[in-house]
Amino acid sequence: MEEVGVKKPHIVLCVLWVSLLLLSASFVQAAPTDIRILYVNDFHGFAEAYVPIGSKEPLGGIAYLAAKVNELRKEKPVLLLAAGDMIQGNNWTNLFLGASVIELMNAMRFDAMVVGNHEFDFGQEVLKKGIGEAQFPVLGANVIGLPVLKPYMLREIAGVRVAVLGVTTEEAAIYTHPRNVTGLQFLSPVDAATKYIPKLRERADLIIVLSHIGYAADRSLAEKTKGIDVIVGGHSQTKVAKPAVVNGTIIVQAWEHGKALGVLDLTVEGGRITHFEGRLEDIQPKKGEEDPAVVAIVAKYREKLDSVLKERVGESGVDLDGENVRTRETNLGNLVADIMREASGADGAIINGGGIRTSVRKGEIRVGNIYSALPFNNYIVAVKLTGKQIWEALEHGVSEVEEKAGRFPQVSGMAFRYSPRSEKGSRVKEVWVGNNPVDLEKEYAVATNDFLAAGGDGYKAFGDAVKASRDFSVVGGTVIAEKLVYNDSSRWIRDVVIEYVREKKKIAPRVEGRIREVD
Amino acid sequence: MRVYVNGTPIEVLPGMKVRHALIRAELLSKIEDGKKVYDEWGNEVGLDGALSEGMKLEVR
Repeated sequence: MEEVGVKKPHIVLCVLWVSLLLLSASFVQAAPTDIRILYVNDFHGFAEAYVPIGSKEPLGGIAYLAAKVNELRKEKPVLLLAAGDMIQGNNWTNLFLGASVIELMNAMRFDAMVVGNHEFDFGQEVLKKGIGEAQFPVLGANVIGLPVLKPYMLREIAGVRVAVLGVTTEEAAIYTHPRNVTGLQFLSPVDAATKYIPKLRERADLIIVLSHIGYAADRSLAEKTKGIDVIVGGHSQTKVAKPAVVNGTIIVQAWEHGKALGVLDLTVEGGRITHFEGRLEDIQPKKGEEDPAVVAIVAKYREKLDSVLKERVGESGVDLDGENVRTRETNLGNLVADIMREASGADGAIINGGGIRTSVRKGEIRVGNIYSALPFNNYIVAVKLTGKQIWEALEHGVSEVEEKAGRFPQVSGMAFRYSPRSEKGSRVKEVWVGNNPVDLEKEYAVATNDFLAAGGDGYKAFGDAVKASRDFSVVGGTVIAEKLVYNDSSRWIRDVVIEYVREKKKIAPRVEGRIREVD
Repeated sequence: MRVYVNGTPIEVLPGMKVRHALIRAELLSKIEDGKKVYDEWGNEVGLDGALSEGMKLEVR
């Protein structure tokens, strides 16, 4: 009896204990849980703080952003997300094909990232290597043909089951060279979300779409798709200071270049968000407030970058003249224009002399020499111009030669004579394309940089051609547009020039009489 | 692709960014002077932000 009696109280206690456990468990599920989403997008390798155009003070600096992440992690359970385009756009990442950024993100313990269009810029093999080195999943539910990209991630945070679905722009082929996306298909983000969300809803309390499709498309996605709790976006580099709510979906985005850290605090109760608060934390360099581990990574790659800039790429048998590019034909102008024409397969090339900033002395050419001569982040574009438009472009190019304006043209595949003493607008006297006088009615493919193609330096002819090229489509991964012949925003012109010099080993470009002054 | 800058229609090539639209609209110098670019919902956008068809930008 006693044993039983002894046993009976044990059984009673045991039943009570189990009941209390079940009761407390049900309290945990029903009780509100606070979690925090931290996010960045379009970092583009801007590891070091910089002074943006129009600003008077430096912004950004990943070591300061990392320190802020550490601070905010202490307050509540955190999910740290990256909404794409973490690489490409700054020497700190470009010269290492993005590896520096992956190391940084590992050190900061990112939880997930969606692939952005610029992640494809160094080719699929480099992308696969980067994903292999990442200690977090890289997502892309709407990318077909690259199995290393996962459609989603499931994670439990403080008892809240969170699904993160990744979608990227279906126009990735527009933003990179077609060779970088060969064999890949980019499906509609809406279709991908519609496919996955009902399945994820069965397994998650909270569904986050990590998107690289742009703010307007995020809003459209929220309107068209049911069941998304939060969209953390990128691509349009939008500074969403306070979260927007569209069709019940919270939409956020944190500007660009690590100049802001997004903070979204959520209270989840009974499997749904009952309260949210969001803000952007401005990131500015403040001495003593940086994450030391991240400082070390930034410094390590800065040192490597400096040594890469000293790397020898080839040799020039002559001085390369970057001083006189605003007043006459120079051999450096010819070299750059020739390389652009060759790379794009165009009939000719017209570039602005102002895009070349310094000379390169005879002898060894180092990476840094090319970077100094071509400091702008411009890429090659080729459009169809009529002979008349070429003439007008050249006429515009020489219209302020006496003021040494940056618009003065350097050309390839064509030649012209002009009189600086004639009235503006009627200075060009003769134009040849190839070996023939220009046919004013005929269309020619002309390479230039994206700045002039957008109408920069007042080059209206390119702008007009672009206007006529309004309709475009992506066919088989290639952009098809009426007037657009070539468009590779994945490589800056200076990198194309470096590649050319490396291949040739020794160069000696000459002035050939492409641009001649006449009375 | 057509976008609007301060109400003016601007044609840009596919893949071009906010910066290119401002160059075409001859407004990039305004950014150097301290003005900023906003989307139609009043959010500031970066110069390298992607454009989308019909996007409305305002420089102020």
